[in-house]
Amino acid sequence: MKSMTRALCVLAMTAHGALAGTVEIDMVHIQSNPGELKLMDEMAAAYEASHPDVKIKVRKFGEDYKTMLSTALQSEDAPDVIYSWGGGVLTDQVNAGLLRDIGGVLTNDNKSAVGPAGVDAFTRDGKLYGIAQNVSEVVFWYNKDLFAKADVDVASMKTWDGFLAGVKKLKDAGITPIALGAKDKWTAAFYWDYLALRLAGKQGLDLARAGASDGFLAPAFVKAGEEFLKLAGLEPFQKGFEAAGYASSSGVFGDGNAAMILMGDWNYQESKTNSTSGQSVPDDKLGFFAFPSLPDEKGNPTDTLGGINGWVFSKNAPDEAVEFVTWYQDAANLAKFAKGGYYIPINVKAAESLENPFQRQIAKDIGASTYHAIFFDQSLGVNAGSAVNDVSSSLASKAISAVDAAADVEDAMAGDR
Amino acid sequence: MTSTTIATANAEAGRACLRINRTHLAAIVLLAPAVVLFGVFVVLPILQALRFSFYDWNGYGSPSKFVGIENYSKVVTQRHFGTALRNTAFIALVSLLVQLPLALWLALSLYRNTWFTAFFRTVFFLPYMLAEIAAGLMWNFMYDGNYGLARALSDAIGIEPNFVLADPAWVMPAIAVVLVWKYFGFHMMIYIAALQGIPNDMIEAARLDGAKPWQIVRHIKIPMIRSALAVTAFFAITGSLQLFDLIVPLTNGGPNNASLTIVGFLYQFGVTRMRIGFGSAVSIVLFIICVAVSIIYQRAARMAEE
Repeated sequence: MKSMTRALCVLAMTAHGALAGTVEIDMVHIQSNPGELKLMDEMAAAYEASHPDVKIKVRKFGEDYKTMLSTALQSEDAPDVIYSWGGGVLTDQVNAGLLRDIGGVLTNDNKSAVGPAGVDAFTRDGKLYGIAQNVSEVVFWYNKDLFAKADVDVASMKTWDGFLAGVKKLKDAGITPIALGAKDKWTAAFYWDYLALRLAGKQGLDLARAGASDGFLAPAFVKAGEEFLKLAGLEPFQKGFEAAGYASSSGVFGDGNAAMILMGDWNYQESKTNSTSGQSVPDDKLGFFAFPSLPDEKGNPTDTLGGINGWVFSKNAPDEAVEFVTWYQDAANLAKFAKGGYYIPINVKAAESLENPFQRQIAKDIGASTYHAIFFDQSLGVNAGSAVNDVSSSLASKAISAVDAAADVEDAMAGDR
Repeated sequence: MTSTTIATANAEAGRACLRINRTHLAAIVLLAPAVVLFGVFVVLPILQALRFSFYDWNGYGSPSKFVGIENYSKVVTQRHFGTALRNTAFIALVSLLVQLPLALWLALSLYRNTWFTAFFRTVFFLPYMLAEIAAGLMWNFMYDGNYGLARALSDAIGIEPNFVLADPAWVMPAIAVVLVWKYFGFHMMIYIAALQGIPNDMIEAARLDGAKPWQIVRHIKIPMIRSALAVTAFFAITGSLQLFDLIVPLTNGGPNNASLTIVGFLYQFGVTRMRIGFGSAVSIVLFIICVAVSIIYQRAARMAEE
């Protein structure tokens, strides 16, 4: 009897402890690779095992991530840890007072692990709001066989004129030069993004965003549209590209039906998934090169376009949430994701575990980048960013003038300044 | 008039008053739940949208930047708004002039109950049961000249594949085909139900009087299902005004915004850009169009009755 009472007492105490001491961490993301999802769950379980007072709920938000998030963040029951692309969306969230400043919780080691670019990407007005996790870069992927068939030397693609000449050569050889899925718009925006980045440079972009000297109506941005139209004039894209989504275009490239695709490092996997064979272009026939450099460009040929993604915290997130994410972002843990090839970690030590040679090279390129510009539909905010997407898909099919394109972007940006 | 009669009259009036109050009370009690639900879920959101439409607001925090009617002038001057209006009108016309006659024709051939007609009724009704997104994705694949049915077909007859969804001139007719395919079965079912309600002896009598099949259709069947025709016309028009979910997977409003509808325009330039004020202004414009259409419809229906 006595032992039973004692047992009950112990039971009651543990139950009480569980109720009073448990912190629930709600983590939302938009990842979809089954291997990565499994690894994320394993990480959460491992952390729970060593921290009995913490419960972690890892949740996937649907395709309308950004819209859902803006509602969820403003609700009473906001998620604690949120996957973020940084950029203008982050600025909006910070300005609305929805996020937590975590600068005080992070150690200097945490900060140096993500490097200055990683800290910059999540800093607003001198305050740090997030932990950078992974980087991506947009490059021209190409099919070596098709280049050889049309007698195009990849070295000649370094300059814009050489690139346009190469496109013509491919076209003359009866090969579709470029795969593009313009229905999704952001795919076409990479061209305008890169042309603007090359022509205006970091300084020009910063000035335009701030609204100085005509903003996005400045000559460099009109020129970006003109050069895009010059490319579109060669009719380089596969037939029906206007109605094709990204998935379809990555399949066209993967099946060897187009010689190039301007896309992020993730296309390596996506072209496999979306090709008829499921194999894509074999590794020894696959290559990539940087976006060409233009005459009179103000940017550097080593400036890159891509993303720096990471995790931000809602304003009522507990310290435990930040502690969990710093553990989760530990080099040893990130190395597991790198090994699986799910993404390129911003943490250089973890990036050493990348096994895929293409990802290794891209990681090196980003490390050497003079300026890593974030995708414009992130960095400019949703409004101006969507305007860039919209005019880019129109430029690809020559349905808008370069001046109108720049004006549309400027109009949208003006509303947000 | 004596004082007693006045008193009785007063008492009568008092009782009448009481009676009215009692019926009022019952009405209030019975109506309250409906009124509250209608108010909270229909009237309030409309009023909210009206309020938001006067603000420049990105959905974060509460709207604070009042801009007057600027959102409305932006909607009207936006270069794709005209396209959206034209496309919506085109969809409404196709629904009324192609979809409904087709549905009526099929209903007239299939309304009698045999296993043969039951089979085809089910077949024709199937597209309606498909989710819009699924149907859109399916047709996107069918029209795809690289991988889809369009490719297989053109390969079979040995011609270059066409990309109708990528062609601004053909995209709306291509969407209209999907639309008719998707919804004619629904209208057909309504007609069938109405046709089956026509008394057989009436048709029998007409036949005995020597009416030809076409005359029976023209002078008996169609007039007898007039109210069903009116209802489907109303559904067709309101459905056209709200068309959106079928188009997103098909073209996403493209190529170059050539297949935007009013709601597509709202989604593209209001929702995805997080311009809640602008989007609200579009929705108010759409609301006004809907109200105007339903008033015209009511008038037309009443005139037809008379």
